Amino acid sequence: MAGFVAVLRKDLRLEVRSGESTIALVALSLLILVVLVFALDPVGGVRDAGTAAGALWVALIFAGMIGSNRALLAERDNGCIRALILSPLDRGALYLAKLVAAFIFMAVAEGAAVVLMVLFFNLNFDARLLRLAPVIALGALGFSALSTLLAAISGRIRAGDLLLPLLAVPMFVPALIAGVKASGAALTGAHFGEIAQWLKILIAFDVIFLTTGYLLFEHVVGED
Amino acid sequence: MDAALIEARGLDKTFGSVPILRGVNLAVPASTAAMVVGRNGAGKSTLVRILAGLSEPTAGEALLFGLPSRTLAADVRRRLSIVTHQSFLYPNLTARENLEFYARLYGVADARSEISRWIERIGLAAAADARVRTFSRGMEQRLTLARALLTGPAVLLMDEPFAALDAEGVAMVASILREAIARGCAVVLTAHQPLAIDGLRFAGYEIARGRMLALTGDSGSEPERAQQAG
Repeated sequence: MAGFVAVLRKDLRLEVRSGESTIALVALSLLILVVLVFALDPVGGVRDAGTAAGALWVALIFAGMIGSNRALLAERDNGCIRALILSPLDRGALYLAKLVAAFIFMAVAEGAAVVLMVLFFNLNFDARLLRLAPVIALGALGFSALSTLLAAISGRIRAGDLLLPLLAVPMFVPALIAGVKASGAALTGAHFGEIAQWLKILIAFDVIFLTTGYLLFEHVVGED
Repeated sequence: MDAALIEARGLDKTFGSVPILRGVNLAVPASTAAMVVGRNGAGKSTLVRILAGLSEPTAGEALLFGLPSRTLAADVRRRLSIVTHQSFLYPNLTARENLEFYARLYGVADARSEISRWIERIGLAAAADARVRTFSRGMEQRLTLARALLTGPAVLLMDEPFAALDAEGVAMVASILREAIARGCAVVLTAHQPLAIDGLRFAGYEIARGRMLALTGDSGSEPERAQQAG
């Protein structure tokens, strides 16, 4: 537990000091939403909640890939990842620390993206946004879990930056569909039962991604 | 003979079709040090990485504390430290913050005073709260050594630890190494050429064409081959 706290604390301290990941994530989310809001704006000017949900999740996916990559990239500078591998730190704890760091970076970016989505898509700041919170949180958790594992693999190989989206996006598609549907339902004020059926799918994929990541991280990060 | 804390048994390492190490054997008991010399590309760094468990040999076995180095348990890894060409330091953290991070990872007792003691020892007291990215190569190397020694290792693997150090830095490292060996640490260090360091005796080896050859006598007692470090 002490190792987990040490790595997470160090990652957050580095991020607070540089702001590199958060600024990039928020800027990317802004860019994606701006592009989509104009690209999807039909002639009549109607912007529905379903479209807004889709745009939000596109921003979430791309921001998530940057967040996970950054969390592990810092460890590749000066070979710090090797020091972590040789330290008494359990590699599962290292995975969880990196995952939580990526999740926090994503959560900050998504908070900003939700505000931008409401503004750009002419939605209201009301209680429906609270129902969106668990959907976004589960999506960010699942994507952080998956992309942290995949970033550990892609960071070790040439052109790994290209490999990460090629691996992460297709694997996340089932959860992505559930997330978009749940977000759309939350934003349109649908009955909670309708949201819940998609939340169950998101939770199932979160469990799969977390378990797989925890068990496999040791093997993908330790080889040289 | 005492049991070896660091041991290589018939290590082979091949990159593609190029053999780097061929049948390398080495045994370093507690309170002793081995110096492995060789030209650039001879395989010194590869040997250190294999001994540390960071790289898998093509054949043979690397053991630390009598256990395969690739699968050491956490409480055994706690007693191992390594110095390589990479500093393992975070450029955007200060010297003190870097040491605090590693102290937490290794559960160093009385970390605050230990860190202050090491910062004094390596002569970086004035730069303790400066970010590492502002350090010269020599300052970074000193901090790297403090990072490695702070945790009180029983096994110390050092790949060219004297690189980038001035004469004062070399003397400081020599003094730190003497203390570590005196308290039971087993040390393997690499260098381009045999080094003579006051008060330190090494079992000397040379890697040439992938093979490890024992140098005559201890490298510290071989004045005709030795060169003063730095």
